[in-house]
Amino acid sequence: MLSPVILAQVLLNGLSLSAVYILIALGFTLLFGILRVVIFAHGSFAMLGGYALYYVYGKYHVPYAVAVPLAAAMVAIASLVLEQFVFRFFYQRMFQSMIGLIGLDLALTFSAVLVWDVYERSIPPAVAGVSRIGGLIIANDRLVVVGIAAVALAAFWLFMTRTRYGLAMRAAAEDVEIAETQGIRARTIYRLAFLLASFMAALAGGLYAQIYALSPFMGEQPLLVAFIVVILGGMGSIPGAAIGGLILGFSESILSTFYGASVSAFASFGVVIALLIVRPWGLLGKPE
Amino acid sequence: MIRLFRPLLLAIAVSTVSAGLACAQEELKIGAIGPLSGGGTAWGLATQRGVQLAIDEVIASGGLKVGNKAYAPKLIMYDDQYSATGGRTAAERLTSVDGVKYIIGPVGSPSVLAAVPVTTAAKVILMSDGYAPGILKNEAGSPFNFRMVDSNVEFAPAMIAWLKKNKPEVKKVAIIAPNDAVGQAAIPALAKAYKDSGIEVWTEMYERGTKEFTPLLTRMIATDVDLFDLNSNAPGEAGLLLKQARQAGFDKQIWQVGGPSVDEIINIAGPLAEGFISYDLFDFSKADAQNFIKAYHAKWDGTINAQTPIWYTAAKILFHAIETAGTTDVETVRDAMLKIEGWNTGFYGPLVWGGLAEYGVNHQLLQNFWITQVKDGKPNTLAIITPEKR
Repeated sequence: MLSPVILAQVLLNGLSLSAVYILIALGFTLLFGILRVVIFAHGSFAMLGGYALYYVYGKYHVPYAVAVPLAAAMVAIASLVLEQFVFRFFYQRMFQSMIGLIGLDLALTFSAVLVWDVYERSIPPAVAGVSRIGGLIIANDRLVVVGIAAVALAAFWLFMTRTRYGLAMRAAAEDVEIAETQGIRARTIYRLAFLLASFMAALAGGLYAQIYALSPFMGEQPLLVAFIVVILGGMGSIPGAAIGGLILGFSESILSTFYGASVSAFASFGVVIALLIVRPWGLLGKPE
Repeated sequence: MIRLFRPLLLAIAVSTVSAGLACAQEELKIGAIGPLSGGGTAWGLATQRGVQLAIDEVIASGGLKVGNKAYAPKLIMYDDQYSATGGRTAAERLTSVDGVKYIIGPVGSPSVLAAVPVTTAAKVILMSDGYAPGILKNEAGSPFNFRMVDSNVEFAPAMIAWLKKNKPEVKKVAIIAPNDAVGQAAIPALAKAYKDSGIEVWTEMYERGTKEFTPLLTRMIATDVDLFDLNSNAPGEAGLLLKQARQAGFDKQIWQVGGPSVDEIINIAGPLAEGFISYDLFDFSKADAQNFIKAYHAKWDGTINAQTPIWYTAAKILFHAIETAGTTDVETVRDAMLKIEGWNTGFYGPLVWGGLAEYGVNHQLLQNFWITQVKDGKPNTLAIITPEKR
């Protein structure tokens, strides 16, 4: 079974998996890093992003390049209502946020059930068909996701490291009181971080729903993936989310292909447990 | 003056009496269990809606006539999330809290196997669907549970015989199934049926809830199989397996000895579903199905899953057994269900019970089934097959 073509295919599959996982994890790690909130409602925002893309692109046929950011932006702006009435009471309160946001996640999921029923739907692909390169094959919609993930990761990193607001967010993450004494308005920065994280979650959710299927319960898997990736890479670390996504994507592809799904699942969670024992702050995170 | 109001007074009197008669119908709780969330939701909704349509018909005709009483059935259904824990919890709630005597569902072996001990101990009739032989073949001897859908022990040999005749080039088949009671029950029976026909079998299992199958499918493609069988996979997973198999470059025949989930697979996989062959439970293009379809769409939108007429028929069988028994006593109704063999169920013809040779009890409903193929985005019948009574 081990041939150069199969090995190359496995690595290509790993790359496309990693792209999805990185996108899912980015918003999650941002909110924890800046706001110290464990956003258990992350999966629900991804799900809402899926439904937004379903309508904007699937039903109203807005051009794809516009539909993807537009759908994510719609969810992000709508989420500011939840930020005002729910989330802001949990900032810097990690343990309270866990329980509160689990409740919010359930409320959002079952609200979606009432609005859209439970049937799984599909979103048309951006580009149908597959691409063949030598003996390798990849679905075109996976190539689109890889491209979007690369752009999103680069844009995210540039924003956080090269803009005043990004600098303000990192200062607030280090020490919010000192940051405020330097003229940074914490409330504005928190709201901006929340908006950005919701946008990333909705963007990831739209693409996830497009590759797989859309339903009110689709957010469970992205939430689990986000947890594993940020624990691997380090809570609050953007490069860590990228590395964690790559590790998870490639390991899943290699282990599932050569040893089967059970071994892959065992290894993924086994590594997470081992890491939490030896290095609980993750590969690139900072010790508390 | 009174003459002018006489028609009105008459109308008021008639409607008052009718309302009184309707109020005189005693409520008869009918329990149901099925997945109303997750990948198996299409089947849970099929259960809920099929049973409700049968209930609506009974109520419209004046209720269930049992002795000199009339009963208005009322559906109480719980979501089992297609899991053993969910099935057990739902069964306990229905029997202990709601006090039901008859339960329709669950769908799926994990849930049924967990519910059977509860309903057997409570002496409640259970009319379920799941492929595990243990649903009927168990220590208790299945005194109160009936399987209302052919399992793969009933339909797989017949489908594979059709395959050998129509696609003799198939020498090796891949089966990918969930790693739970469903997959663990379905695979041995299915693999045996293939091997008895001289077809080599490759199997792989995944954890329930998985959405990403590309690595497994790459593994499958490397083994040079001629056929990919979606077997007992739930509609959500079956659709993704087919879609991702085609995207991974698998261009040979894909079919499903199980399910069915044809419409859901078409919805998820789109044009990639073209040529897909499946076991199917119903042909919606039949003339006698049109009223059923109208009644369904008068209440609900969207795709009608092929299990819906199955559960509608199961409810009708139960109601006919209760009326025949002349009582709601569970043991008498159970005996009546077997006595009414030969009764015309409507969509599926005469009622036939089987399974004595396989399970030691004659509680397996034997139903005609269809083999359909997706052409131009729609299912088309290739064959209609009757399972063997054993």
